[in-house]
Amino acid sequence: MKTTLIRKSLATAVATALIATFSVATTQFAAAADTPTCNTVGTNQICTGTDDLGAKYEIRMPSKFNGTLMLWSHGIRYAVPLPAIPVVNPVATAVNMAAEVAPSEAVANALLAQGYALAGSGFNRQGWNAEDAVISNIQVINTAKTQFPKIKKVTAWGVSMGGFITQSLQEQFPAMIDAAAPLCTATNTPLAEFKYAGDFLFGIKTFFDPTIMGSGYAAGQAGYMQMIGDIQKVLTVFGSISAAITANPVAPAWPASSTAPAALQAIPVRSALLLVGLMAGIPTQSNSFDASSGPAGPLETSFGLAISPALAVLENGVQGAMLAIVGTYGEELKMGGRFYDNSKTNWATQISQDDLDSYNAALSGTSAITAMIGYLTVAGQRVTADAIAKARFESQYVQTGQVNVPTVAMTGMADPIVPPGNTQWLIDKAGKNNKKLVVLWNKTPETYTEFNGQSPVSKSPATPTNGTGHCNFTLDQLLLVAKIANSAAKSGKLPSDKSINSMVAKVNTWDTTLVLDRDLAATPLKYNQ
Amino acid sequence: MIRTRNLKRLVIASMGVGSLVGALVAPAQAADPGVTATTIKLGISSPTTGSAGRVYGKLPGAMKAYFDYINANGGVNGRKITLVHRDDKYLPTLAATQTTNLILKDQVFALVGALGTATHSKAYTAAALAAKNVPDLFVNTGYSGFANKTKYPTTFTILPSYAMEAKVMAKYIKDNLAGQPFALFAQADEFGKDGIAGFTAAKTPPANTQLYPTSSVTSDVAKTYLTAISATPLKLVILFGTTDVTATVLKAAEDLNLVGKLTFMAGSVGGDANTLLALGVKPTTIDGLVAASFFPDAKDTTDAYVSQFMEINTKYNPGVTFDNVVLQGMNSAMLTVQALRAAGKDLTRAGLISAIESKGATFASAGLVPLNFSSTSRIGYNGYWFGKLNAKGELKPATGTTPVVYTTDSGAGDVVKSDYKRLPLPAKGIPTNS
Repeated sequence: MKTTLIRKSLATAVATALIATFSVATTQFAAAADTPTCNTVGTNQICTGTDDLGAKYEIRMPSKFNGTLMLWSHGIRYAVPLPAIPVVNPVATAVNMAAEVAPSEAVANALLAQGYALAGSGFNRQGWNAEDAVISNIQVINTAKTQFPKIKKVTAWGVSMGGFITQSLQEQFPAMIDAAAPLCTATNTPLAEFKYAGDFLFGIKTFFDPTIMGSGYAAGQAGYMQMIGDIQKVLTVFGSISAAITANPVAPAWPASSTAPAALQAIPVRSALLLVGLMAGIPTQSNSFDASSGPAGPLETSFGLAISPALAVLENGVQGAMLAIVGTYGEELKMGGRFYDNSKTNWATQISQDDLDSYNAALSGTSAITAMIGYLTVAGQRVTADAIAKARFESQYVQTGQVNVPTVAMTGMADPIVPPGNTQWLIDKAGKNNKKLVVLWNKTPETYTEFNGQSPVSKSPATPTNGTGHCNFTLDQLLLVAKIANSAAKSGKLPSDKSINSMVAKVNTWDTTLVLDRDLAATPLKYNQ
Repeated sequence: MIRTRNLKRLVIASMGVGSLVGALVAPAQAADPGVTATTIKLGISSPTTGSAGRVYGKLPGAMKAYFDYINANGGVNGRKITLVHRDDKYLPTLAATQTTNLILKDQVFALVGALGTATHSKAYTAAALAAKNVPDLFVNTGYSGFANKTKYPTTFTILPSYAMEAKVMAKYIKDNLAGQPFALFAQADEFGKDGIAGFTAAKTPPANTQLYPTSSVTSDVAKTYLTAISATPLKLVILFGTTDVTATVLKAAEDLNLVGKLTFMAGSVGGDANTLLALGVKPTTIDGLVAASFFPDAKDTTDAYVSQFMEINTKYNPGVTFDNVVLQGMNSAMLTVQALRAAGKDLTRAGLISAIESKGATFASAGLVPLNFSSTSRIGYNGYWFGKLNAKGELKPATGTTPVVYTTDSGAGDVVKSDYKRLPLPAKGIPTNS
């Protein structure tokens, strides 16, 4: 059996490559808005400029404009440069300040061809920056309307943090837009998202490597190297667990870095990893692992029952841990210290009884669960936030969940970075039968894990499974959302559920399934429970 | 607050007046899905493949056979029943997926005969059965948690609770085995926890308890366990798990030459003789195995229900050997037909739930113990009788010539002998209730 989620030489490759790339992003722009520079490219007019806050923006106007502007908000980008890191950051990246007008060029071209104008900002700072982003978005709308007075309607949309920005825009300034589409959106407060990632990382730290910092990084280059060190340690832990499951899927051994007592390490490490995932809320289905399929033979049932959910947490957790490390590091630079605080977190109660029942076998039974929760409670790695940094972080905009304009949300049921519980919060606030809000759930296929003999096949992130991955939507799905939202922007109301379902049916294929059902509900984020 | 001022300036400069009020509109009342003037579509998620499929795979086919029989005899109030089955392999995540598919894709009216605790509890939430008020009939689990009407407002289980079963076992041991101490080998989830709670309530805790996660009992695990038990003074081993685990343990006992040296008692979920034999347990090993049941013996052709169901099975489920699982499936299907009839011609989900609450305890059933449905009870059968398997796989009363039925509750209530007399089989096995 082979699972090649984490490459062996990964950790060492990371460490050496990163040292040369340290540079803290302290992007400051002159606070003076400019007049956009416009050029004609093909049949489109493209205008670029920099707003009052120093954020770059771009507007694309098609020659046959239909009157609606689509304002795009991109998701979170890391605020620090990163070297090439296998699995999590395959190509070295600088801090990206570029404006972005659509989720992809394919989507942009399709919408431009339909007559929609597109616009978007790069925002003035990276990392979590929803408040400034709302200001920049308003400036982009104003600039676009000034430049192109024929704009009649505005649809705001965005992914992840961009979904949060979109929702915040409609909550605070609903008259600026006519429809909204927060996709795979973060909601409520950034605390919810950073708790999700941070709790997972501290669970990993507790069980598998207490030397992981997770927060409280030092100033300057020393802090950057601590952050890089954390990446290295986490990837080493994950690589070790991956190798252990490969060698012995039924009873895989723990990483050498774990200091858990031998009695606890008698429990298969996959069970401890799954427990950490359930505690934080990491999805138990991932790109490669459906928690259902098994290879023909002795593992036919037990693989899907007991092994696959842990492998899904492993595959998803890589991304969650990166958000926790790199995202937290970047925010600490902005906040001036540690803002993550788990000094009073009751990790044991964060694991729901429903999860303990459903995953009892995967967690190696009741006795093992009791032992692991006991260890988590007693040995859980605790940190207390710096009061000033915490106050700064908490002073950021907290959403109300009010839906003022027709809103189309879409989210993957197994998104590892922004789990669907985020969108559930919006539903809970707005009301599931609110006619101004419709949610499209992007479901995973019935089964999809592939096997080569007894070995599961790790799928390439380049060919993501529907419903998994972060903000993983097909071109058709994104264009469907645009169609619904733009229709609502024009008419002032969402199409009926029946009409939307008809549109959804035309987009769905055997392995990509959107669902509109107002009774379906996702598990809320731990922060919101 | 410079930013806020900037924002307001920017907004005021450009905006018109927008409506800030989100309207909350109640959903329109629509007809329940899955029912037409001529059809009723029901759904079941249960294992037909994988290790659990080898044990419980006959369940949906048996139910379909009975429904086909009813359809051939006019259906229910003029409606023919169709049963959509989806294979969940006894896996919680797949059960959640398949149950959601039954509701959203297949648009079934009600679920019937779902199987398993971990599977169905996850599926119930994922498919939003409560929000949709989907009747969730005759779930094959003894987990007492499903009796929580607040959490599972549409669920009716069929098996006695595992806590009831443990209490009745304790009573049997006290009355017939001189209260000898025993070892408990139980599934390490709600199944086993319910069982332990029952033994505790009966003030007869096991002298030795070994819990195991589902799907973890291999031959080696079973041999290790039995070797350890055989080194103790304990001679009675209670197997509180599924039939595949019972088979694995009994085959391990054969390999270790412990058959006859240890006495095994299997719970109702794990004591199906045909399945044990099919899984390779020797007839001589099951000879004398004590098993709990609430049904007549599936091989007892003198029993009116068994005989009728066998006849239906032969015609509508050809090639499938009649056993406890087939009996269970057909019985649940017959209860379903009675529930549908009791709900009347204007069939609704709410009406079906209400009908079981008000009339479910009076439905004809193959069970030798009472049905316990009411507005406050969602657990079906509430008792057991004990028998011993012989080498042919027949379950004969452990004492005397007729089954002695015990009934109890899931709590601290006493275990009492019952004089319950079941209702006669409806003519030709076709219910006519209203």
